Amino acid sequence: MKIILGFVLILLSTVAAWGAQATQLQFALNWKAEPEFGGFYTAKLSGSFQKRNLDVEITEGGAGTPVVQMVANSKVRFGIAAADEVVISQARGADVVALFAVYQINPQGIMVHPERGFKSLGDVFNSPGTLAIQSGSPHALFLQKQFPGYKVTFVPYAGGIATFLTDPNFSQQCFVTSEPLIARRKGKPAQSFLIADAGFNPYGTVVIARRQYVAKNQKQTRDLINTVREGWIEYLRAPEPANNTMVKLNRAMDAVSMKEAAEVQKSFILGAGAPAQELGKMTMERWGTLVNQLYDLKLIKTKPVADKLFQNF
Amino acid sequence: MNFKTKISSLLPPLLPLILGMALAEITVRSGWVPSYLIPAPSEVIRSLIDDRVELAVAAWTTLSSALAGLLLSFTTGTLFAIALSASDLARRAFYPYAVFFQTVPIISIAPLLVIWFGFGQPTVIASAAIVSVFPIIASTLLGLKSTEPALIDLFTLYSASARQMLYMLKIPFALPQIFSGLRIASGLAVVGAIVGEFIGGGGLGSVVDSARTQQRIDRVFAAVLISALLGAVLVGAVNLISALTLGSWHISERKAS
Repeated sequence: MKIILGFVLILLSTVAAWGAQATQLQFALNWKAEPEFGGFYTAKLSGSFQKRNLDVEITEGGAGTPVVQMVANSKVRFGIAAADEVVISQARGADVVALFAVYQINPQGIMVHPERGFKSLGDVFNSPGTLAIQSGSPHALFLQKQFPGYKVTFVPYAGGIATFLTDPNFSQQCFVTSEPLIARRKGKPAQSFLIADAGFNPYGTVVIARRQYVAKNQKQTRDLINTVREGWIEYLRAPEPANNTMVKLNRAMDAVSMKEAAEVQKSFILGAGAPAQELGKMTMERWGTLVNQLYDLKLIKTKPVADKLFQNF
Repeated sequence: MNFKTKISSLLPPLLPLILGMALAEITVRSGWVPSYLIPAPSEVIRSLIDDRVELAVAAWTTLSSALAGLLLSFTTGTLFAIALSASDLARRAFYPYAVFFQTVPIISIAPLLVIWFGFGQPTVIASAAIVSVFPIIASTLLGLKSTEPALIDLFTLYSASARQMLYMLKIPFALPQIFSGLRIASGLAVVGAIVGEFIGGGGLGSVVDSARTQQRIDRVFAAVLISALLGAVLVGAVNLISALTLGSWHISERKAS
């Protein structure tokens, strides 16, 4: 009798342990570990994912990492993309949806040498020189349309700031929360202009997943997004622990630049100063504007319905 | 060759292509594979038609850069191989560096090329030349070191100078190997040019970069198809020059009677 009882107890404890095993999820970033992902690393480091039974593995990306396609093809469950990528991929039949937007104001900008005396983006485009910008990207097409008859010469954007440091006539796209700070640390002051100010302001650094997966796993997705939100609230308050981890992963950015970036990006994340529980939430109006802009730029042939592009948690 | 024979010789390479395209079309159209991962061949053909002007201009830019890069690598590679063949000491001193040069991944040094040569064609030509130079060095050196010893003895017997030995014996004898290296290098020059264009701008590399950003994989495939054709055209041109140069005397190009 004792043997049977012992066997049942072992069986029950095994089943319980099985049930408590955390769900493994891969979370793909589209760039190296930087403060734009600080909240995700904070959520991971604080053990909040584990508390909600989620075993999240954050993987870094690089130039051209096809995160949207990886998510749409279920190679990873969650990933980071730009809002315009979500619209374009949906218009092409991919089943992806946005769940959380880190940046309410998109920090994409153009960084120039201050000694050139530019006062606006118009000056950058209407003066001779070189501008490194991602060819064919929505922000590049938007700016080209915005400033017809431009004089600047476009060259490919390869990431990094090596050419900016050596060429005084060189301007480049940047996150105003990142590259200008690195350039300054390397002894080259940089001036930056926000593309959002010119009228193109999609949500930046957006968490995406497959719509079908989200529909089937509502609780898990809600848990993940709530944890991410808590991570960001904590990162805005105390960025040091995540920065200490990220600086080891990304040697291109030193601890001081990370600290500065975390401070500078606060206003881009908080936007108009929404309460903490609203962090990362998106509106139909913003998505609708983006759809119309991408349609006008001829980047999509059909307009996806705005409320199918995102889901707030 | 009559019409029937021509068709029967074309059928073996064409059949897998037609079957492969039909299979891809069915797979994508039936929804087994989403079109944002692999485009249907019909979409690629549509992109080739719709974007023909942009693709033609880009193809010409890539071809001209690849040709310039190939010319540069052929000139420097041949001269380098001749110098190495002239002295065992030089070969032992420098050949390992040529091998090392071959193993440098071009994609990792391409951003440096921009810093050294600037944006645009110079960087693209340099990239094409770097990628394509090693097969030329290796093949030319092999050819120059493979001259029949009996012929060298004969030239020595007739008191031929080193220059005469090189121009009248060693180089003609090495031509089949030189063309062999050039065939490999011509395909690589196109690859090198496209990698250079990713960083330096212009050409098919730029088209691929832009299309990838816009998730237009039909256009990516169209550009890749054209770049493969460019490689084939260059290899074909080398084959033609090889046949014209060697056809009258070398067994490798002589037609079976």
